[in-house]
Amino acid sequence: MSILPFPSFLDDVKEKGFKKAVFEGVDESVERLTAGMNVQDIREALRGENPGRRPNPRLTPHADGFWLHMRPSYFNRDVTGLYPSFRLGWLSTYFVFFETITGLLLMLWYTPAPEIAYGDMLTILSNVPLGQLMRDMHRLGAEFMVAVVAMHMMRTWITGSYKKPRQFTWFTGLLLLVITGFLSFSGYLLPWDQLSLWAVTIGASMAEATPVVGDQVNLLLRGAPELGANGLLRFYLLHVLALPALLFVFTGVHYYKVIIHGHSLPPQKENIGEDTAKRVPLDKRVYFIPDVLTNELMWLGVTTFIITVLCIWFYHAPLENHADPQVTPLGTTAPWYFLWIQGALKLGDKFFWGVAFPTIALGGLAMLPYVDMTVSRRFAHRRVVLTLAMLLISATTILSYMGLAKFAVKTSAETEIVHDLTFEPAHSKVGIGRTIPFDQMTVGAYVTAQFHGPAELAPIDIVNIVNSETAANGQFAQMLQELKNQHLSVNQLPTRFRPIPAQEAPALMRVMQEFDHHLEEVPQELPNVWGALVITDNQRGLKRLDWVVSWDGVEIEGGQVRLDEDGNPIYIYARDSQGQIILDENGDPLPQRRIYSEHLFIHENSAYFD
Amino acid sequence: MNWLLPIKSIESRILTGISMFVAIMILIGWVAINEEARMQAFVRQHTGRSIERGAELFASLCAECHGEEGLGSGDRAPALNSPHLFGFDPVAEQTSAITNANRTMIRLNQLSQGLIAEVTDIENPPTEARIDEIAAELEDIDERIEEQEAIIAAAIEARAAKLNTLDTAVGRGLFPQWESVEDIATTGDNEIEIFFNNNGTRLAQVGWGGDLHGYVVTTLIHGRPGSLNVWPNSAGGMAAWSQTAGGPLREDQIEDITAYILNWDKGNAWTDEDFIAVQQYGKPLADGSLPSEPPPPPAGDNVESILSRWAAEGIVGSAVSGADLYENEYKCTDCHRAGASAPDTIGTWTRIQTERLTQAQFDGYSAEAYLIESIVRPNDYIIDGYNSGLMPVNFGLRMTDQHLADIIAFLTTQ
Repeated sequence: MSILPFPSFLDDVKEKGFKKAVFEGVDESVERLTAGMNVQDIREALRGENPGRRPNPRLTPHADGFWLHMRPSYFNRDVTGLYPSFRLGWLSTYFVFFETITGLLLMLWYTPAPEIAYGDMLTILSNVPLGQLMRDMHRLGAEFMVAVVAMHMMRTWITGSYKKPRQFTWFTGLLLLVITGFLSFSGYLLPWDQLSLWAVTIGASMAEATPVVGDQVNLLLRGAPELGANGLLRFYLLHVLALPALLFVFTGVHYYKVIIHGHSLPPQKENIGEDTAKRVPLDKRVYFIPDVLTNELMWLGVTTFIITVLCIWFYHAPLENHADPQVTPLGTTAPWYFLWIQGALKLGDKFFWGVAFPTIALGGLAMLPYVDMTVSRRFAHRRVVLTLAMLLISATTILSYMGLAKFAVKTSAETEIVHDLTFEPAHSKVGIGRTIPFDQMTVGAYVTAQFHGPAELAPIDIVNIVNSETAANGQFAQMLQELKNQHLSVNQLPTRFRPIPAQEAPALMRVMQEFDHHLEEVPQELPNVWGALVITDNQRGLKRLDWVVSWDGVEIEGGQVRLDEDGNPIYIYARDSQGQIILDENGDPLPQRRIYSEHLFIHENSAYFD
Repeated sequence: MNWLLPIKSIESRILTGISMFVAIMILIGWVAINEEARMQAFVRQHTGRSIERGAELFASLCAECHGEEGLGSGDRAPALNSPHLFGFDPVAEQTSAITNANRTMIRLNQLSQGLIAEVTDIENPPTEARIDEIAAELEDIDERIEEQEAIIAAAIEARAAKLNTLDTAVGRGLFPQWESVEDIATTGDNEIEIFFNNNGTRLAQVGWGGDLHGYVVTTLIHGRPGSLNVWPNSAGGMAAWSQTAGGPLREDQIEDITAYILNWDKGNAWTDEDFIAVQQYGKPLADGSLPSEPPPPPAGDNVESILSRWAAEGIVGSAVSGADLYENEYKCTDCHRAGASAPDTIGTWTRIQTERLTQAQFDGYSAEAYLIESIVRPNDYIIDGYNSGLMPVNFGLRMTDQHLADIIAFLTTQ
């Protein structure tokens, strides 16, 4: 007899035999853990059989257990398909948990301080097994989440699921959309590289435009006039504490509301003005256990598998150079989901387009269910609202396109061309000039004028002509002076141009053709232009590439070439020390020759071409 | 329209789900086994890009004074692309030949003095046979001394020839005490040997106790206060470049420049041309005059040659003198005491026997060899729980064989 007040396991064994006692013990534990289903019930459910006993044990986990208490015990067959939900709500929830788990793992290696944060990124990439994969997954998950939540909203709009009684559900959903955007945005800053610093600087600068309190809001957000240690800490705390807390609370409220009102049916499945979501006929019921549960677990596997595959082979989270408040990279943009605001800003007033317009847009969205009071959810009866939805999608797309750096932001042509060829890896792209394999960077000076000689001449002959011309008109000497100014060692200055070694260095040839192609595209800004690439040895395993553009100066006003009445560009002419325009031997005024150069170094291990 | 659950049968769903989870596990496992290689590749790539950024910074900030190719500029800034900075001693071979020959000569002289004393001992005169034996031995010693003298003469000649080819470099401050090779020729033998033993490399010249990386980083961070006096042609002396010290550069940029500078290292492949290409060598931090009293040669950092010398020359340490040197002369106890940043002195010998030498990596080490290595090459092995780079690396240059032997003798009592 047991000394315990209840029979011990040993007593059970004595009474029933070992095997039976063990089975019954396991059965009881399983039933307690699942809050109602024993081993036999689970086996029946997974076999797709009907429940074997009454009352239905598959309903008790919903009634008695914690984990399923918020999940309905059955769904209407009409809402379990891909249409009408497209699983976007489920996917949003999936990403909430996915981001939490990957984010927690990344937190182990991260310190929110400007001196340390970037080094931590390097540690994650260079010294943490699976660190890169976790970072890629977290980043890709974040981008997906913003997209999925936004699509979830558009789906709700299009199927009219925001209508009475679901107005408040729509409103909490909108809050979740905003929170998701800010979560993603606040995480953007944390790697503390150039991409994050400048994207966030642009994003946060919109707050500045708020009248009266703009400066204060800005100061509150950044902790200082410029983003620094305080700003990083604030964004970090927003990202890991404040926003996730809000997100979890409102996810709870949102889902609670969804369940209270039931999943809205496809519009054509119910009569106009009716809401039958809560009244599911017996023959339409799809039970959570086992059908929806197995379905969701399957999707959990499928989705995670897809993300894993994407992150192993197709996507790597970008990491640019260390953040530097002194160096503004060319072509900086806000994160893609805020591009529409950046595009709107190009339309005019900073306050109206940067603050008022997004506020009005969000306010309008929040008001939607209260303004659109019509009862019908049928597409045919909602032409105005559906048109508005299409307008919203088009407007956002167009504004986002306008937000891109290439739209209406004019940098001088020569800067842009050289930048295009040489920019450091950003947004998973890299300047083609960096992708020349190290062994194809043959030391020498090459010129795009090689492509413009008479077709019957060999490249070497054309280059010889270019050499004698540029030597005679002083353009070569001007280039040498420019290179010297750029601290290219005097010992390494080229003596003449050489033909591009097309056989040994096809990649170099391609880059020079690309260079030439770019220069030819802007004949007005850069008349009579040639571009040169000077490659020199700098150190063991390190080459220096100097990109030079030489052209006849023309007057530029507001990013545009000034034209005379005949539509020809107005040249700038060279003047002597008295201010007199210099004439050439034919008595024509001599255009002032302009030169621009940019250099970069390439190490053999840098592997930009991978 | 009845799309239903995209996959209708529950078996297919369970099967799909399970195969997906298995596939995820396999994929992550596959990534995991490749992680080591990936991380190494990342480090390589990152180092490469760090050198690129360093090159960029060097061209815009440092090249003005140190030269585009890092070769220095007269009385303005020293060369960084310099064999001397990277510890390549052009006459190391000859210097060590001379030093070794000198050591051997001292020992041979001692031997011959002992034999002569034996012959001239009136109270205890040797036998006839012994005298013959001594005479033969003395003759042999004389021959060997001549051999050594020939070695020294040859080495001096070779060194002079080598220095002649480096005349330009000497003129640019390779050996700051001398302005030209002629000056070297007029310097006393002892002084020259001391000089070449202590000034072969830049780090030895300035008495730096750390490695070259630390030397470059520290100079970049803090600059050289007062260096305008040494470099009259520079714009304002070497400034403090790090934000830590009020300069413009972040820590990672300092590391980038350092990576670039250290990438000039050619290891043992430096040539005479490299010496001659340098426009300006570093200057000594002290006044540069040579010491008048020649100190005995240092022990160096080669454990095997130290041990073989001790055996050959019969050097035996004294624990009493070692205790004094350990505490007062070299201040070892400042760190090697209980609860400090280095292992406690007490128990050293026991720990070596019971904990260190039992490890596979110390196969073939004697306890003495382990201790000597720990003193002259402290970073070769760091005991778990302690940091590398804390102990100065130049004890081998500061200690004589006798001092080192005394300290080892003292440590055997601990």
